[in-house]
Amino acid sequence: MKFSYNWISELVDGLDVAAADLSNLITLKTAESEGVEKYGAALASVVAARVESAEPIEGSKNVKAAIDAGRLGKKTVVCGAPNCRAGIVTAYVPVGVTLGDGREIRKAVIAGVESEGMLASGAELGLNRDGAGILELQISAGELLGVAVDHIIEIDNKSLTHRPDLWGHHGMAREVSAILRKPLRDPVDLSILPEGAGAIPVSIENFELCPRYSALVIENVTVQPSPLWLQYRLEAIGLNPINNVVDVTNWIMAEIAQPMHAFDADKLHGSIRVRSAVAGEKMGALNGETYELTPSNLVIADDSGAIALAGVIGGAASAISDGTKRIILESANFHAGSVRKTSSSLKLRTDASMRFEKSQDPANTVRGLARAIELLRIVSPGVRVVHGIADVAGPVRQTDPIRLPIGWLNRKLGKELPIIEVRRILEALQFGVGQGSEDVLSITVPTWRATKDISLREDLVEEVGRMIGYSSITPTSPLLPAAVPPTNEERQYLQGLRTLVAAQGFHEVYNYSFLSEETVQHFGFDPELHVKVLNPIATDQGLMRTSLVPGIWKNLVDNSRFSDEFRLFEVGREVHKRSGDLPLEVNHICAAVYFKEPGAQGLFELKRLGECIVPGLELRPAPALLYEHPTRTAEAVYRGEVVGRLFEFHPSMVKGRGSVLDLNIDALMRLCPTETCYTSIRRFPTSAFDLSVIVPERALVGDIQRRLKEFGSETLQTIEYVRQYSGAPLAEGTKSVSYRLTVGAADRTLSSEELGEARTRVIDGMRELGFDLRV
Amino acid sequence: MLEDDLSQLHAMALARIETAADPEALEAVRVEVLGRKGTLAQISKEMAKLSPEEKATIGKCLNAAKQALEGALEAKKTRFESEALARKLDSEWIDLTLPAPGPRPGSLHPLTKIQHEIEEVFTSMGFTVLGGPEVESEYNNFDALNIPPDHPARDMQDTFWLEGGHLLRTHTSPVQVRGMRKLGPPLRMIAPGRVFRNEEVDASHEHTFYQLEGMMVDREVSVANLIYFMKTLLSAVFKREVTVRLRPGYFPFVEPGFELDIQCLICGGPGCPVCKQSGWVELLPCGLVHPNVLRLGGIDPEEWNGFAFGLGMTRLVMMRYAIDDIRLLQSGDLRFISQF
Repeated sequence: MKFSYNWISELVDGLDVAAADLSNLITLKTAESEGVEKYGAALASVVAARVESAEPIEGSKNVKAAIDAGRLGKKTVVCGAPNCRAGIVTAYVPVGVTLGDGREIRKAVIAGVESEGMLASGAELGLNRDGAGILELQISAGELLGVAVDHIIEIDNKSLTHRPDLWGHHGMAREVSAILRKPLRDPVDLSILPEGAGAIPVSIENFELCPRYSALVIENVTVQPSPLWLQYRLEAIGLNPINNVVDVTNWIMAEIAQPMHAFDADKLHGSIRVRSAVAGEKMGALNGETYELTPSNLVIADDSGAIALAGVIGGAASAISDGTKRIILESANFHAGSVRKTSSSLKLRTDASMRFEKSQDPANTVRGLARAIELLRIVSPGVRVVHGIADVAGPVRQTDPIRLPIGWLNRKLGKELPIIEVRRILEALQFGVGQGSEDVLSITVPTWRATKDISLREDLVEEVGRMIGYSSITPTSPLLPAAVPPTNEERQYLQGLRTLVAAQGFHEVYNYSFLSEETVQHFGFDPELHVKVLNPIATDQGLMRTSLVPGIWKNLVDNSRFSDEFRLFEVGREVHKRSGDLPLEVNHICAAVYFKEPGAQGLFELKRLGECIVPGLELRPAPALLYEHPTRTAEAVYRGEVVGRLFEFHPSMVKGRGSVLDLNIDALMRLCPTETCYTSIRRFPTSAFDLSVIVPERALVGDIQRRLKEFGSETLQTIEYVRQYSGAPLAEGTKSVSYRLTVGAADRTLSSEELGEARTRVIDGMRELGFDLRV
Repeated sequence: MLEDDLSQLHAMALARIETAADPEALEAVRVEVLGRKGTLAQISKEMAKLSPEEKATIGKCLNAAKQALEGALEAKKTRFESEALARKLDSEWIDLTLPAPGPRPGSLHPLTKIQHEIEEVFTSMGFTVLGGPEVESEYNNFDALNIPPDHPARDMQDTFWLEGGHLLRTHTSPVQVRGMRKLGPPLRMIAPGRVFRNEEVDASHEHTFYQLEGMMVDREVSVANLIYFMKTLLSAVFKREVTVRLRPGYFPFVEPGFELDIQCLICGGPGCPVCKQSGWVELLPCGLVHPNVLRLGGIDPEEWNGFAFGLGMTRLVMMRYAIDDIRLLQSGDLRFISQF
């Protein structure tokens, strides 16, 4: 929302703080200012000039105008405007002036003629948006335009979300008056409202959706452009000047935050009714669009149908036109949620809807009408008010005063404030302040703050706090008992895990939680098993990931363009559908190694990484998934439970060798023993013997080892893989795998008989199973 | 006469020890002179023929010669050994500027680093670290934080909606609700995590970013306490004294609500491009917990109150490491990520 410094200064008597300082004060005490910009800087040097003659220039569309610029003298100016003709008074920009768009006016030769300055349009001067021709003024040559240089303070709309009153200059002026302790002027004079019954019947279907609807009929209206000062003010705060009637409604909206609408009274049929739209009802709006409505949309209707979308936009059929003579002014109040719903479902945010969404004050409607009468009399002399105002309102919500104990307030702030200071601040913000008891104030909230903003004593802490300035509060340490906070084991585990994996040479990446349907299908996942995003920004963000693998895969592919060998990992969450409840989020770690050259090093690095993460992790061959290498895939098993996978990507997925270890962290945390117990150190010597097993080429070393273990008695301490060998003299398709077995006992040295027995047991057992042994 | 022989022998043997070229030559000298059948042994045999007086004199000389030669031999032997060791060690020369085998060191993501750091600071001040789901209910993300349906504040946070009526949390604040229910009063908690906003991505906007929620609930918590805590914590995070200021900010789950600015760490106040010439950098929203939020968290606002804040970790990381494009953080690009 843009605020005109000049406008505020008209409402705050004796405003003596420069715009930049005011902007800063507003930031500290009221709402966030995004900055100050000087507006209409050129206007101070622009004067009215009479065009004495305008001669065509041969070979140019421009004319050579001789002008009389009063005290600036007579000048020759080249002008390209179609309306530049002898006799008009227009705006003359002298040489040396810089326009709002940064253009500096210099003496120049245009089409062979020396031009001393420029004749300007309203758009060029920032007065309005009319750039079709130069201004035609009703003042004398040499006079200033009667509009002053302004400063525009832009306030962040988000910081005004809770303040319906700050959507108008009067509301901001109230803040400024409280901050600077200067008197506030009310632009509205309610005493000029006419007496008597309204000229048009109004009815409201549902007072909750429309708490109040006030309307006034005015006749003998002349629709014409607004005076320059009015156009300039609207233009300066970003509102488009249209005609005097529409401009007056916009002025009032910008002044007292009451959105208004003007209908052409002669285009209305019968009475006004505020009702819910009928399903399928259509309305052509002022913006040229036609909207199909549902009963959730509130409309203003006459006997023929909808004539406006309540609080959002007017209808085209009843719009003000040049020929309009009689108007109906609507100044109403609508339910914030209803306006917001309509505005967001139709994707139509207007200056009006933005204000109504903030819960405007129903007391404000008649103030808008009073102000309109006053302004219309200025911009369209001769207007006549027809009868009184139509004013229909639901029951007014009465709220009890808020009890504000000063001791409580001071404890909340952490500062001792005298009651008189609290009283002064709240009165400056126009709260009703009564004395409840000696140290309790009884606060009545003004109507413009009562709609949603303030209802609790906590809300008043903010009012007082911001006005005294938070910088006046001394930071104080709270008195707290010393206590060890409960630990979060998941956090600790994740922290340790990340540190460990990084120390093994892996770089941590963060990937998005989204996947595209295309990727999901590429990996052979079922899109139906993924949680869908209903309003994704782009189609590649339509599904929530059920695996970290696709993200890691993209990292591999992307980085393989720059690097021949790398390692990376991500710790993140999978999201799995769960009926009824929130989806299941599972922590995973996904680590990957890339080698451009062939080999299995990556897989074994990852296997080692897995063993570092969980000592005792085993791998078991598993059928490959669509994207996995068919003979380089295994399940990771811990304590009998599958906790992840180790695989190499299928060569169609990655150029080079990309290997991945994907582990379910939640499962690991659940399975990991919390405490380990010490076993005493062996005191008696052990003995070792080697043996080799001849097996088919693809027999698993891990399986053979498991067999060996089965045949070892309780004296078997360890089995250590030594090497494997294939080739002569072994038969084709076989290999020899060697192990070293260690035997011993905790309480004695084994006898040679016992040793032999242990050895024979293993060998015989294996032979019985059909294994060929070399011992 | 024998005495002369002895001294001659002694001198000759010493010279031979001295000139022995290798341990073998040295051994030959030892055998020849000091061996069982060596020249000294022969002399000692011949001594039997001498008178006791002569025996005593020669014996003395003989022992002295033996000791001297043994000493010389030992010294020479030690020299050979140490020379051999030196040669061996020299042959074991290694270039330690060669790269070590195995992978180069890895790295933690800058967000992980900052998160660990901040968690340390907070836990040292008695805060519990909590987690919460990234997919949240509408109730926890909005309603329980005093943002009812159709509240315009919902527009402040463009939301990703999911099927089943769920959403991606737009802030870490839902963990306030979970924390209050889990811990009960008094409590001190933080909750770092990933949050989502439905926004177009560019150099300074992301749809996925990281926040750290903080909350403290106790009997007496004031604005003065909040300022103290924030100042202390931020000084620890930035590892230097920071100046903070509060100004009004609107967040429905706090009342009063603040925007907390820190005095620009680059220029220290006079104004620079980083702080847009204002001298202040907006860092985090905070406030006293709204009584409705306490109530919805199962805590009686008449007895307890507290403060809450939300720290933008992504922003902090970008400030700390002078990262000028937010998209790099989730690019997975090793050229970026391996720098940390």
